[in-house]
Amino acid sequence: MVAINSETREVALKVVYYGPALSGKTTNLQALFQKIDPSVRGRLMTLDTRDDRTLFFDMMPVFFRSASGIKVKLKLYTVPGQVMHESTRRIVLQGTDAVVFVADARRAETASTYAYWVNMLKNLEANGLDPRALPIVVQLNKRDLPDLRTDEELKDLTQMVKPVFMPAVAIRGEGVLETLHALLVLLYRALDSRVGFERNFHITEREFISQLFSHVDLRGTQLASAGASP
Amino acid sequence: MTGLPPSVLQQEVALGDLLDARTFTEVCQSFAELYRVGVKVFDAQGNRLVEVKVGNADFCGYIWQKPDGRSQCMATVQRVKGDKVPDEAKPVAFDCFSGCRYVVQPVVYEGDVIGRIVFGPFVPDGLLQLPRTLTSIAPDFDSALAASYLQKIRRVPQPTAEKIMKHFSEILDVLVFSGHKNLLTARLHIEAVQESYRELQDKNRQLEDSFAKLKELDRLKSNFLATMSHELRTPLTSVIGYSEMMLEGLGGSLTDEQREYIGIIMEKGENLLQLITSILDITKIEAGRIRLVMSEVDLGQLLRDAAATVLPHARKKKITLACEVPDDLPKVMSDREKVRQCLVNLVSNAVKFTPAEGKVTVGASVAPPGRVALFVEDNGIGIAEEHLAKVWDVFYQVDGSNTREYGGAGLGLAIVKSFVEAHGGEVQVKSTPGNGSTFTLLLPLRRESVAPVRAAPAERRAS
Repeated sequence: MVAINSETREVALKVVYYGPALSGKTTNLQALFQKIDPSVRGRLMTLDTRDDRTLFFDMMPVFFRSASGIKVKLKLYTVPGQVMHESTRRIVLQGTDAVVFVADARRAETASTYAYWVNMLKNLEANGLDPRALPIVVQLNKRDLPDLRTDEELKDLTQMVKPVFMPAVAIRGEGVLETLHALLVLLYRALDSRVGFERNFHITEREFISQLFSHVDLRGTQLASAGASP
Repeated sequence: MTGLPPSVLQQEVALGDLLDARTFTEVCQSFAELYRVGVKVFDAQGNRLVEVKVGNADFCGYIWQKPDGRSQCMATVQRVKGDKVPDEAKPVAFDCFSGCRYVVQPVVYEGDVIGRIVFGPFVPDGLLQLPRTLTSIAPDFDSALAASYLQKIRRVPQPTAEKIMKHFSEILDVLVFSGHKNLLTARLHIEAVQESYRELQDKNRQLEDSFAKLKELDRLKSNFLATMSHELRTPLTSVIGYSEMMLEGLGGSLTDEQREYIGIIMEKGENLLQLITSILDITKIEAGRIRLVMSEVDLGQLLRDAAATVLPHARKKKITLACEVPDDLPKVMSDREKVRQCLVNLVSNAVKFTPAEGKVTVGASVAPPGRVALFVEDNGIGIAEEHLAKVWDVFYQVDGSNTREYGGAGLGLAIVKSFVEAHGGEVQVKSTPGNGSTFTLLLPLRRESVAPVRAAPAERRAS
């Protein structure tokens, strides 16, 4: 959960990209790494096991200082998708403030997507987090491939919580920034209602979003025309 | 936070945890040697991690001899170490009262300041003579000596100093990044193993709980069966007894039809009683409550008894019942009643599963080493290979369907096996489907071990 250090005037937030193996979680982070200016982000750290190509997980910090002098640190994580890394997934999910669930949007992946979705809800609860209260964006990735699920076919993901759906082709960087943008809007609103972000830290939703997105290469995204404002 | 223990991912990064102290000191030494300027590195709390001095020992040592020099030196060190500097990776110059200079730069990692680098002291390019702030620290200050010591400290132009600092901070950044990566990899591996272990333990505990519950339920089931069988027997004995009395004419004379009906009531009542007795036996065996009553038993006599008991039944089906007992069969220490029950069981089974006009042979022989074999052979329907091993299990029946041709509860052979094994003996079965079966009981001549009477585990009925 959001860590607020009033002494150093810092707010630390955690966002986790969750999803089945090969759904495109790391691809998302790699695209963000390319598009976010180095002045507001750190290195993309990829922890991998030595013996196979299995990704352990990735991590990338993003940070900015608000006009009111509050430092906002946002850490983006991916979880390992492979089934065997169940305990690592649970550990990475610990204390998360928001989740992007990266799903392979093809029909053939429906069952595995649902299994990981349920697995995520279970692991959130194991960490004492209420999925209904958490900002969750489902990224429907690989929209360039055939045999996609229609909106009608997404009902299995909306039974318990009502996530926001965002289409993407992460491998081409499409929809990646839009996904993060949608998530940060949800995250800001959740934080504001919980800890009074605007009242206590004098950061408006507009500033929260633009402090970061003004340092992002928005060319070719829908956000470019929207001026990156919520 | 509920659930998992806090992960290393949730903790702030400390510079000291990311660097291997000895290796890092070596890096700093070679760096200081290359540029001939000292370097110090502090963590965010101001703890010194590394200090390498180059060239300033004599100069600073001389100043330290003067009380004013010493106190001002300590104040400078405090400023260099603790004064606030902007939270960004940019060098800031700190001038010493001695005329020397330090360059300080925060160590910024992932947007956080996790320490600072102090580069110096060095002599700034513009310093031409010792400043008043130094020469006035003591009346006996020897400027010429101090100036000669100062020669040993490297003279560095400010832009060069900043370049050196940039170089060093870039090296440190890589070290910190790899250190952080290694730390996370190592710690997360451990955390993942611990978490998997915790999960396994949880599951084990759940399994143990359900196992304990199942055992308790099993015990209750056995108790229930034992009690019920006992309670069922009492009224049944009356049903049989009164039928018998009526058949004997104690209630007046009967018509042939009435006699036939009551005969059927009595026969079925006896079947039922046998069944209930079997259930009671098996529950006693399962509860480990069977005791053997041992005596010298003439097994030949026992075989003939068993055959005689089943004979009326065999006659009805026109089955030939032969008895082959050698004269020299030795007596065996055993529980007469239980062995008799075993034999009756086997012979009834043989008659049951042998079609009309078939043949059942009972017999005995000495079976080395030191055992007696009692066998019951039939030329009935036989048992298919896949069922052979299971016929001894409780409630197992080759034909478990509701419409099966042959009755029974599937307890007989389980009881036989338990009783024989309690004698330290062994049961065997051979069969060819369509040609008949041979059941053999091997009893030791001398009973050596008293095995506890246990029933074979209940198998699901074949269906």
